[in-house]
Amino acid sequence: MTCEELKPEYGAYALGIAEGEEKYEIAAHLASQCVECVAGVRSAMSTVAAMSGAVEMVDPPARLRRRVLAMVAPVSDSWMPAWVPWAVSGVMAVGLLGVVLVPTLLQRPQATSKLEQALSILNDPVTRDVSFGEPAARGRVFVSKNKGVVFIAANLPKLAAGRTFQLWVIPTQGNPISAGTFRGETDSSAVYVRPGPIADVAAMALTMEPEGGSPQPTMTPFVVTKL
Amino acid sequence: MLIPWLILALELSGEHDKELARRLQRREPGAMDDLYKKYGKLAYSIIFAVVRDTGVAEDLAQETFLRVWTRIQAFEAGRGALGPWLLAIARNRAIDHVRSSGARMGRGTVELDSNAHPSLFVDLDRQIFDKDHAKVVRAAIAKLGDNQREVIRLAYYEGLSQTEMADKLGQPLGTVKTWVRSALKVLRAELGQEAAA
Repeated sequence: MTCEELKPEYGAYALGIAEGEEKYEIAAHLASQCVECVAGVRSAMSTVAAMSGAVEMVDPPARLRRRVLAMVAPVSDSWMPAWVPWAVSGVMAVGLLGVVLVPTLLQRPQATSKLEQALSILNDPVTRDVSFGEPAARGRVFVSKNKGVVFIAANLPKLAAGRTFQLWVIPTQGNPISAGTFRGETDSSAVYVRPGPIADVAAMALTMEPEGGSPQPTMTPFVVTKL
Repeated sequence: MLIPWLILALELSGEHDKELARRLQRREPGAMDDLYKKYGKLAYSIIFAVVRDTGVAEDLAQETFLRVWTRIQAFEAGRGALGPWLLAIARNRAIDHVRSSGARMGRGTVELDSNAHPSLFVDLDRQIFDKDHAKVVRAAIAKLGDNQREVIRLAYYEGLSQTEMADKLGQPLGTVKTWVRSALKVLRAELGQEAAA
């Protein structure tokens, strides 16, 4: 399409509501540094930016600043930065892993394998994800029937001596199947990866079990996420 | 309270943001804190205006700053407009969230990041910041017709594509496109910006 044909869509593009061929054509023109389209979209962008001037101001919670600063703090010795569960427990997990964890973790050889496993699961087109916000913990679980499970949580309960967290696959029929054990971080967060195919999963659950894990849950799960 | 645009604008157009961008690129201690102090409340407000949920707004505001942090190297500090870029990311994050939570992905509305490349915020018209901006924007919006105002609201706060707006309003797509274009034309004129589209 020509610049003249795209010109009427600059505003929609700047608003983020362009669609179809026009959207991709404008993006292509911008990528090729098309002078006319760059100038036109910039101008439209300035109009959209100006519109934010009418937004009512709302005070963010004080912890937001702490969260933002924690993101860029030096990483700890654990395989993921301490802010990760905080950051990904809401709405941003997949994109976050893409833009931040990869460059961060690739500097940590011991983490590469685990990262690769996690990304393999997150990148599987059939992966399903569910957020949970139980009283005892909050977080998100990603389940790929082909690749495995990534379990991310914060505010986990404190483990007693000789105990461990155990993740369970709840099938549509039959008994729970162990998906492995983990201890989590000192700040009550955890990022656990269980690679490998999982068939017939209706939900995931988390319990606290004796060290080494149990063949079957010995307590009522304190996290249950239906998929 | 409305955004003190005049103050913000003066800072946007000054050296402060350029230096702040350079400090972010150098990963200097304190740079992110300064960025947050300057834009945290504004970014959060824009996100909240779209998602209307404090918890989600908090997550998305955090992600906004994270994205700036991870992409700042692509930003040309000598020519850029750090604030508008950050605010565009904030709104895009919010719209993407509303779209995904409303199961609207895949209807021609893919992730918005492509329209928020830092280079698109180079040489923003300074004149839009030369007035008491909140009043100017409100006055401009007041001059829109009802249909124009509605499509701008649906676009800005809900991120509806023009096809989705046509469905929602029960109007032909061409009519909706006309309303969007004419509304933006009015806004550009009222905001004293040169018409480019």
